[in-house]
Amino acid sequence: MSEKKQQVSRRQFLNYTLTGVGGFMAAGMLVPMLRMAVDPVLQPSTAGDYANVGLSVDDITDTPQRVDWKVDQVDGWYESKVSRSAWVFKDDKNEILALSPVCTHLGCVVSWEGSDNYPNEFFCPCHNGRYEKDGTNIPGTPPLAPLHVYDQKVENGILYLGDAKPR
Amino acid sequence: MKYSSNHMEQYIPAKEFVDTIIIPLIPFHFSADAEMKKLAFQAEVATIFAGEIEKELSGRVMLIPPYYYVKPLEQEVEVKRLNTWVQNMETQPFTNFIFLTFDPAWKKCEKDLTGNLLWFPSIQSGDVHASETHHLITDQVAQVSELIRSFW
Repeated sequence: MSEKKQQVSRRQFLNYTLTGVGGFMAAGMLVPMLRMAVDPVLQPSTAGDYANVGLSVDDITDTPQRVDWKVDQVDGWYESKVSRSAWVFKDDKNEILALSPVCTHLGCVVSWEGSDNYPNEFFCPCHNGRYEKDGTNIPGTPPLAPLHVYDQKVENGILYLGDAKPR
Repeated sequence: MKYSSNHMEQYIPAKEFVDTIIIPLIPFHFSADAEMKKLAFQAEVATIFAGEIEKELSGRVMLIPPYYYVKPLEQEVEVKRLNTWVQNMETQPFTNFIFLTFDPAWKKCEKDLTGNLLWFPSIQSGDVHASETHHLITDQVAQVSELIRSFW
């Protein structure tokens, strides 16, 4: 009589319980493994991060202005804040251009109209390197490559700059 | 450029473009508790200061390891030793030697040094990471770079 009433037999009950617990244990082991396998995909990439440089798009004119900002950088032993700068202006096509101020010759800091003798050019004080306004190096001066250009994007009217890339 | 292996790699093929040596002169001593903190702070500022100047003009200057000496300055000994440093560096095509210091004692033996001594009144105390110190240094660096350019 008890057999009729018992809808789940002892054997079945044990089977269910063991399957359930076993399943949990297997899942507990597999999930971290899976997570580890796909982990590199989930990591936010630090390269190509954009930083707010504190400049509103409305304030950008066709005269280059210098902006300075800081980014976090992990550099071997140190994690530090590194300062970066750019010369930002609107070019002939009214597009925003952000040039790196690092001279492509030996790495000095160039400035817009840095010499009175060369108006409307970027000038490097170290070896009189010169660049056109669009960053093109002027032949006959030491630099052999144009100034690097920052990746940029505009969000809510604020300029964000990424990494400087050679052209 | 700095005295590091990757900068040396860059320096050797571009020697003729790098004609200026920057040598920070940094004092230290452990004989009086009262001054130790101040001197350590000045040493920190001097290191940052020299580093920032190097960043600004990196294509034409070489920042070498600082010259440390025990305070008070023993003029004769230190000047002689410093000049042997310069002699050694003259084996490369360097023509300008610039000494940066916060210690006014060097002013008295300036004429015996092979090179230009630039003395600055130091920030006496504070925090090197504070933004005021940061602004102060940035401002000074801009002016000193201007001065160094006038030697070229």
